[in-house]
Amino acid sequence: MKLGNFSQVIEIYGADSAMWPEDLREDLEAFLAKNETARSLLSEYSQLEQSLDKIAVPDFPGLETRVLNQALSPRQQSLFVSLISWLLPTENFGANLWRPALAACLPLVFGIVLSNYYSFGISSEVDEFDYWEDELAMIALTDISESED
Amino acid sequence: MTDEELMRAVCNGEQFAYQTIVKQHLKSISHYAFRILGNQKDTEDITQETFLKLWINAEKWQPEKAKLSTWLHRIAHNLCIDYIRKHGSIQTLENIEEGTDSIESPRDWQDSYEVSETRTQQDRLLKNAINNLPENQRSALVLCHYSGFSQKEAASIMDISVKALESVITRAKRSLRKQLGDTGNNNGDETTTSSGQM
Repeated sequence: MKLGNFSQVIEIYGADSAMWPEDLREDLEAFLAKNETARSLLSEYSQLEQSLDKIAVPDFPGLETRVLNQALSPRQQSLFVSLISWLLPTENFGANLWRPALAACLPLVFGIVLSNYYSFGISSEVDEFDYWEDELAMIALTDISESED
Repeated sequence: MTDEELMRAVCNGEQFAYQTIVKQHLKSISHYAFRILGNQKDTEDITQETFLKLWINAEKWQPEKAKLSTWLHRIAHNLCIDYIRKHGSIQTLENIEEGTDSIESPRDWQDSYEVSETRTQQDRLLKNAINNLPENQRSALVLCHYSGFSQKEAASIMDISVKALESVITRAKRSLRKQLGDTGNNNGDETTTSSGQM
């Protein structure tokens, strides 16, 4: 233990030995007992800390009222949180049941629209109307094996 | 309510939670700001703004990373530093309140006056020395000595490493010791002190 190390420890942790790191305390106290310069240094920093403690902070009358009463803008929720809150309302859930029901139906509707829009490789060059007429005609002429049985 | 519950309520816009947090932390925040800035008006402004930022940015607090007090002090610290950098070095003009020495009799008046005057001068010297510190040293000193934060918490507030904080606080204390020592030597002929000057 050297004076520089000792000085650094009391500058970092303070003059109170209870605040010194436990693994260094024994060495520091032993060094302190043998070194008069260290004792003088400790005394100086102890006095400095006592002087620091004497610096008072004034009261701030009215500050609490001022902070409590300051205007607070309504908290803005993110779009996601707002959407979730709308879909799953915590109040009047029965009356607003249509909201989650609507949300549950959306994927189904989306799928129907998507499949109707895209043919997925099955193309027909004929006019749609004619296609359906031909289709119906084929169905009408189809020999349905079940009826024969 | 725990801090997490309070902050969750603040996120939901519940003002009672905000008010509870203000009452719990106002003193520590205002004291911290005063020790950094040194005057009442700026302290009140910064304190008010700190809690306004708490309201606006409540969802940004991560309890697993820092305690609420640590987070609040970080907000106050950043506001103080921004203020100092914008307005230049703050010279406090606040007078330190006198001690509570009571004058028992007219015969003691002269002695009491001299002791009181000496103490006031010492306090003034120390306060000037603190005000002459760079803002990061002053902040480290206040956080570690006055506010009672651990080094890890103080480093988190100042957004520096623990090693950097130790270096800063070491420089702060050495600087104070040196300034007070130099000032004490300069005034040694005029001032008799009951305790040794640094």
